[in-house]
Amino acid sequence: MNPEERWEQLERIGAYAAGELGGEEAREVERLVLESEDHQQLAQFYARMITLLSVMGEESPEAPEAVVSYAIRRAYISAFLQQTEDLLLGVGRSYLGALTYYLGLRAGQ
Amino acid sequence: MTFEDSTLATRASRGDVEAFTQLVRKHSNLVYRIALRILGPEDAKDASQEVWVRVWRSMGSFRLESAFSTWLYRITVNTCLSARRREMGQEAHQAPALSESIPYLQEPPGGEGDPEAAALGRERMDEAIRGLRQIRSDHRAALVLRHMEGLSYPEIAEILEVPEGTAKGWVSRGRAGLLVVLSRGEEAGSERHPTASTERGEP
Repeated sequence: MNPEERWEQLERIGAYAAGELGGEEAREVERLVLESEDHQQLAQFYARMITLLSVMGEESPEAPEAVVSYAIRRAYISAFLQQTEDLLLGVGRSYLGALTYYLGLRAGQ
Repeated sequence: MTFEDSTLATRASRGDVEAFTQLVRKHSNLVYRIALRILGPEDAKDASQEVWVRVWRSMGSFRLESAFSTWLYRITVNTCLSARRREMGQEAHQAPALSESIPYLQEPPGGEGDPEAAALGRERMDEAIRGLRQIRSDHRAALVLRHMEGLSYPEIAEILEVPEGTAKGWVSRGRAGLLVVLSRGEEAGSERHPTASTERGEP
Protein backbone atom coordinates (compact mmCIF):
# COMPACT_ATOMS: atom_id res chain seq x y z
CA MET A 1 0.00 0.00 0.00
CA ASN A 2 1.47 3.36 -1.00
CA PRO A 3 1.60 6.31 1.44
CA GLU A 4 -1.42 8.05 -0.15
CA GLU A 5 -3.55 4.94 0.23
CA ARG A 6 -2.41 4.48 3.80
CA TRP A 7 -3.24 8.09 4.56
CA GLU A 8 -6.66 7.70 2.95
CA GLN A 9 -7.30 4.61 5.04
CA LEU A 10 -6.26 6.52 8.14
CA GLU A 11 -8.76 9.27 7.30
CA ARG A 12 -11.57 6.80 6.62
CA ILE A 13 -11.06 5.08 9.96
CA GLY A 14 -11.12 8.55 11.55
CA ALA A 15 -14.42 9.39 9.89
CA TYR A 16 -15.79 6.01 11.04
CA ALA A 17 -14.66 6.61 14.63
CA ALA A 18 -16.28 10.05 14.52
CA GLY A 19 -19.55 8.45 13.42
CA GLU A 20 -19.57 10.38 10.17
CA LEU A 21 -19.91 7.47 7.78
CA GLY A 22 -23.17 5.90 6.78
CA GLY A 23 -24.48 2.97 4.78
CA GLU A 24 -22.12 0.89 2.69
CA GLU A 25 -19.12 3.10 3.45
CA ALA A 26 -19.53 2.55 7.20
CA ARG A 27 -19.91 -1.20 6.75
CA GLU A 28 -16.81 -1.32 4.56
CA VAL A 29 -14.68 0.44 7.18
CA GLU A 30 -16.24 -1.69 9.90
CA ARG A 31 -15.10 -4.81 8.06
CA LEU A 32 -11.63 -3.29 7.73
CA VAL A 33 -11.53 -2.54 11.46
CA LEU A 34 -12.77 -5.99 12.46
CA GLU A 35 -10.25 -7.73 10.21
CA SER A 36 -7.17 -6.29 11.85
CA GLU A 37 -6.20 -5.71 15.45
CA ASP A 38 -4.04 -2.77 14.37
CA HIS A 39 -7.04 -1.12 12.76
CA GLN A 40 -9.11 -1.77 15.87
CA GLN A 41 -6.48 -0.02 17.96
CA LEU A 42 -6.40 2.81 15.49
CA ALA A 43 -10.19 3.23 15.69
CA GLN A 44 -9.95 3.17 19.49
CA PHE A 45 -7.16 5.73 19.39
CA TYR A 46 -9.33 7.99 17.24
CA ALA A 47 -12.37 7.52 19.47
CA ARG A 48 -10.37 8.52 22.53
CA MET A 49 -8.81 11.47 20.76
CA ILE A 50 -12.26 12.71 19.68
CA THR A 51 -13.59 12.25 23.23
CA LEU A 52 -10.60 14.18 24.53
CA LEU A 53 -11.23 17.02 22.07
CA SER A 54 -14.89 17.24 23.00
CA VAL A 55 -14.06 17.22 26.73
CA MET A 56 -11.59 20.03 26.05
CA GLY A 57 -14.32 21.78 24.06
CA GLU A 58 -16.53 21.86 27.14
CA GLU A 59 -13.98 23.99 28.96
CA SER A 60 -14.74 27.64 28.44
CA PRO A 61 -11.84 29.85 29.46
CA GLU A 62 -12.86 33.39 30.31
CA ALA A 63 -11.50 36.19 28.18
CA PRO A 64 -9.09 38.39 30.15
CA GLU A 65 -10.74 41.62 31.30
CA ALA A 66 -7.94 43.50 29.49
CA VAL A 67 -9.25 42.20 26.15
CA VAL A 68 -12.81 43.27 26.89
CA SER A 69 -11.86 46.71 28.18
CA TYR A 70 -9.46 47.31 25.27
CA ALA A 71 -12.18 46.47 22.73
CA ILE A 72 -14.71 48.74 24.43
CA ARG A 73 -12.21 51.60 24.89
CA ARG A 74 -11.21 51.41 21.22
CA ALA A 75 -14.86 51.54 20.14
CA TYR A 76 -15.55 54.58 22.35
CA ILE A 77 -12.46 56.42 21.05
CA SER A 78 -13.35 55.54 17.47
CA ALA A 79 -16.96 56.72 17.95
CA PHE A 80 -15.77 59.93 19.63
CA LEU A 81 -13.37 60.69 16.77
CA GLN A 82 -16.10 59.97 14.25
CA GLN A 83 -18.52 62.31 16.03
CA THR A 84 -15.85 65.01 16.30
CA GLU A 85 -15.11 64.68 12.60
CA ASP A 86 -18.83 64.89 11.79
CA LEU A 87 -19.22 67.94 14.05
CA LEU A 88 -16.23 69.76 12.56
CA LEU A 89 -17.37 68.95 9.04
CA GLY A 90 -20.88 70.16 9.92
CA VAL A 91 -19.59 73.41 11.43
CA GLY A 92 -17.23 73.95 8.51
CA ARG A 93 -20.03 73.34 6.05
CA SER A 94 -22.28 75.80 7.87
CA TYR A 95 -19.58 78.48 7.92
CA LEU A 96 -18.88 77.92 4.25
CA GLY A 97 -22.59 78.18 3.51
CA ALA A 98 -22.83 81.40 5.52
CA LEU A 99 -19.78 82.89 3.76
CA THR A 100 -21.15 81.94 0.35
CA TYR A 101 -24.45 83.56 1.27
CA TYR A 102 -22.69 86.69 2.65
CA LEU A 103 -20.65 87.13 -0.52
CA GLY A 104 -23.75 86.63 -2.65
CA LEU A 105 -22.23 83.69 -4.43
CA ARG A 106 -25.08 81.24 -3.88
CA ALA A 107 -26.68 80.13 -7.15
CA GLY A 108 -30.09 81.72 -7.78
CA GLN A 109 -29.50 84.49 -5.25
CA MET B 1 -29.51 34.57 15.59
CA THR B 2 -31.13 35.51 18.89
CA PHE B 3 -33.40 38.51 18.88
CA GLU B 4 -31.09 40.20 21.37
CA ASP B 5 -28.01 39.71 19.17
CA SER B 6 -29.89 40.93 16.14
CA THR B 7 -31.06 44.09 17.91
CA LEU B 8 -27.64 44.79 19.38
CA ALA B 9 -25.88 44.16 16.05
CA THR B 10 -28.27 46.49 14.24
CA ARG B 11 -27.72 49.23 16.82
CA ALA B 12 -23.94 48.69 16.81
CA SER B 13 -23.84 48.85 13.00
CA ARG B 14 -25.28 52.40 13.34
CA GLY B 15 -22.42 53.36 15.65
CA ASP B 16 -24.09 52.66 19.00
CA VAL B 17 -21.12 51.93 21.28
CA GLU B 18 -23.32 50.82 24.17
CA ALA B 19 -24.81 48.06 21.99
CA PHE B 20 -21.31 47.08 20.82
CA THR B 21 -20.17 46.95 24.46
CA GLN B 22 -22.95 44.48 25.24
CA LEU B 23 -21.95 42.31 22.26
CA VAL B 24 -18.33 42.33 23.42
CA ARG B 25 -19.30 41.34 26.96
CA LYS B 26 -21.59 38.59 25.69
CA HIS B 27 -19.26 37.03 23.11
CA SER B 28 -15.74 37.79 24.35
CA ASN B 29 -15.34 34.28 25.80
CA LEU B 30 -16.20 32.71 22.44
CA VAL B 31 -13.61 34.84 20.63
CA TYR B 32 -10.93 34.20 23.23
CA ARG B 33 -11.67 30.46 23.33
CA ILE B 34 -11.30 30.08 19.54
CA ALA B 35 -8.13 32.17 19.49
CA LEU B 36 -6.70 30.12 22.33
CA ARG B 37 -7.40 26.86 20.50
CA ILE B 38 -6.07 27.97 17.14
CA LEU B 39 -3.11 30.06 18.27
CA GLY B 40 -2.29 28.99 21.80
CA PRO B 41 -2.06 31.05 24.99
CA GLU B 42 0.80 33.34 23.88
CA ASP B 43 -1.07 34.90 20.97
CA ALA B 44 -4.70 34.47 21.96
CA LYS B 45 -4.98 37.79 23.81
CA ASP B 46 -3.56 39.94 21.01
CA ALA B 47 -5.64 38.10 18.41
CA SER B 48 -8.82 38.57 20.46
CA GLN B 49 -8.18 42.29 20.67
CA GLU B 50 -7.61 42.45 16.94
CA VAL B 51 -10.84 40.52 16.33
CA TRP B 52 -12.89 43.12 18.22
CA VAL B 53 -11.18 45.98 16.43
CA ARG B 54 -12.09 44.32 13.11
CA VAL B 55 -15.63 43.62 14.30
CA TRP B 56 -16.19 47.27 15.24
CA ARG B 57 -14.70 48.43 11.94
CA SER B 58 -16.85 46.00 9.95
CA MET B 59 -20.09 46.44 11.89
CA GLY B 60 -21.46 48.65 9.12
CA SER B 61 -21.13 45.79 6.64
CA PHE B 62 -22.82 43.21 8.86
CA ARG B 63 -25.98 41.86 7.22
CA LEU B 64 -28.74 40.28 9.21
CA GLU B 65 -29.04 37.34 6.79
CA SER B 66 -26.39 35.41 8.69
CA ALA B 67 -26.28 34.83 12.43
CA PHE B 68 -24.11 37.27 14.37
CA SER B 69 -22.28 34.34 15.99
CA THR B 70 -21.45 32.84 12.55
CA TRP B 71 -20.14 36.21 11.38
CA LEU B 72 -18.13 36.55 14.57
CA TYR B 73 -16.71 33.02 14.22
CA ARG B 74 -15.66 33.92 10.66
CA ILE B 75 -13.84 37.10 11.68
CA THR B 76 -12.20 35.30 14.59
CA VAL B 77 -10.98 32.35 12.52
CA ASN B 78 -9.77 34.64 9.70
CA THR B 79 -7.91 36.87 12.16
CA CYS B 80 -6.26 33.85 13.78
CA LEU B 81 -5.31 32.31 10.45
CA SER B 82 -3.86 35.64 9.24
CA ALA B 83 -1.86 35.97 12.44
CA ARG B 84 -0.57 32.45 11.97
CA ARG B 85 0.36 33.09 8.32
CA ARG B 86 2.21 36.26 9.26
CA GLU B 87 4.09 34.34 11.89
CA MET B 88 4.89 31.23 9.91
CA GLY B 89 5.11 32.36 6.28
CA GLN B 90 4.70 29.24 4.21
CA GLU B 91 3.51 26.58 6.54
CA ALA B 92 3.26 23.54 4.29
CA HIS B 93 5.98 21.95 6.32
CA GLN B 94 3.66 21.91 9.30
CA ALA B 95 1.46 19.16 7.94
CA PRO B 96 2.50 15.64 8.76
CA ALA B 97 4.05 14.20 5.63
CA LEU B 98 1.91 11.97 3.45
CA SER B 99 4.62 9.37 3.52
CA GLU B 100 4.05 9.06 7.24
CA SER B 101 3.12 5.47 8.04
CA ILE B 102 -0.15 4.79 9.79
CA PRO B 103 0.48 4.85 13.50
CA TYR B 104 0.12 1.52 15.21
CA LEU B 105 0.09 1.84 18.92
CA GLN B 106 0.35 -0.73 21.61
CA GLU B 107 -1.81 1.39 23.88
CA PRO B 108 -4.14 4.11 22.62
CA PRO B 109 -3.80 7.48 24.32
CA GLY B 110 -5.93 7.77 27.40
CA GLY B 111 -4.05 5.12 29.28
CA GLU B 112 -5.40 2.10 31.06
CA GLY B 113 -8.65 1.93 32.93
CA ASP B 114 -11.74 4.02 32.42
CA PRO B 115 -11.49 5.84 29.07
CA GLU B 116 -13.63 8.76 30.29
CA ALA B 117 -11.40 9.30 33.30
CA ALA B 118 -8.29 8.94 31.14
CA ALA B 119 -9.64 11.43 28.59
CA LEU B 120 -10.09 13.93 31.38
CA GLY B 121 -6.41 13.80 32.27
CA ARG B 122 -4.81 17.22 32.20
CA GLU B 123 -1.63 15.82 30.77
CA ARG B 124 -3.50 14.40 27.79
CA MET B 125 -5.17 17.73 27.20
CA ASP B 126 -1.84 19.53 27.24
CA GLU B 127 -0.47 16.99 24.78
CA ALA B 128 -3.46 17.53 22.52
CA ILE B 129 -3.04 21.32 22.70
CA ARG B 130 0.62 20.98 21.73
CA GLY B 131 -0.35 18.49 19.03
CA LEU B 132 -2.96 20.83 17.58
CA ARG B 133 -0.31 23.46 17.08
CA GLN B 134 1.68 21.12 14.89
CA ILE B 135 -0.99 20.59 12.25
CA ARG B 136 -1.77 22.95 9.38
CA SER B 137 -3.68 25.94 10.66
CA ASP B 138 -6.66 25.67 8.28
CA HIS B 139 -7.00 21.99 9.18
CA ARG B 140 -6.65 22.92 12.84
CA ALA B 141 -9.34 25.58 12.58
CA ALA B 142 -11.72 23.10 10.95
CA LEU B 143 -10.92 20.47 13.59
CA VAL B 144 -11.49 22.93 16.43
CA LEU B 145 -14.83 24.03 14.98
CA ARG B 146 -15.97 20.43 14.47
CA HIS B 147 -14.77 18.55 17.53
CA MET B 148 -14.34 21.27 20.13
CA GLU B 149 -17.07 23.72 19.16
CA GLY B 150 -19.38 20.94 17.96
CA LEU B 151 -20.45 22.74 14.78
CA SER B 152 -22.00 21.02 11.76
CA TYR B 153 -20.24 20.82 8.41
CA PRO B 154 -22.56 23.40 6.77
CA GLU B 155 -21.76 25.81 9.63
CA ILE B 156 -18.01 25.15 9.34
CA ALA B 157 -18.17 25.65 5.57
CA GLU B 158 -19.98 28.99 6.06
CA ILE B 159 -17.46 30.18 8.64
CA LEU B 160 -14.41 29.13 6.63
CA GLU B 161 -16.03 30.29 3.38
CA VAL B 162 -15.25 27.04 1.59
CA PRO B 163 -17.46 24.34 0.04
CA GLU B 164 -18.78 21.75 2.48
CA GLY B 165 -16.63 19.03 0.88
CA THR B 166 -13.50 21.09 1.55
CA ALA B 167 -14.55 21.62 5.17
CA LYS B 168 -15.02 17.86 5.55
CA GLY B 169 -11.61 17.22 3.97
CA TRP B 170 -9.90 19.69 6.29
CA VAL B 171 -11.51 18.15 9.37
CA SER B 172 -10.55 14.68 8.19
CA ARG B 173 -6.95 15.66 7.46
CA GLY B 174 -6.72 17.60 10.72
CA ARG B 175 -7.99 14.57 12.64
CA ALA B 176 -5.50 12.24 10.95
CA GLY B 177 -2.71 14.80 11.36
CA LEU B 178 -3.38 15.16 15.07
CA LEU B 179 -3.45 11.40 15.47
CA VAL B 180 -0.06 11.09 13.78
CA VAL B 181 1.39 13.89 15.93
CA LEU B 182 0.02 12.35 19.14
CA SER B 183 1.28 8.92 18.20
CA ARG B 184 4.75 10.39 17.72
CA GLY B 185 4.47 11.70 21.26
CA GLU B 186 3.46 8.23 22.41
CA GLU B 187 6.47 6.74 20.68
CA ALA B 188 8.80 9.31 22.18
CA GLY B 189 7.25 8.56 25.57
CA SER B 190 7.78 4.85 25.19
CA GLU B 191 11.39 5.41 24.12
CA ARG B 192 11.90 7.31 27.34
CA HIS B 193 10.17 4.47 29.22
CA PRO B 194 11.30 1.25 27.54
CA THR B 195 8.91 -0.89 29.59
CA ALA B 196 5.98 0.60 27.67
CA SER B 197 7.32 -0.40 24.29
CA THR B 198 5.24 0.23 21.19
CA GLU B 199 5.67 -2.40 18.58
CA ARG B 200 4.50 -1.24 15.24
CA GLY B 201 3.58 -3.56 12.49
CA GLU B 202 3.07 -2.82 8.85
CA PRO B 203 -0.45 -2.84 7.42
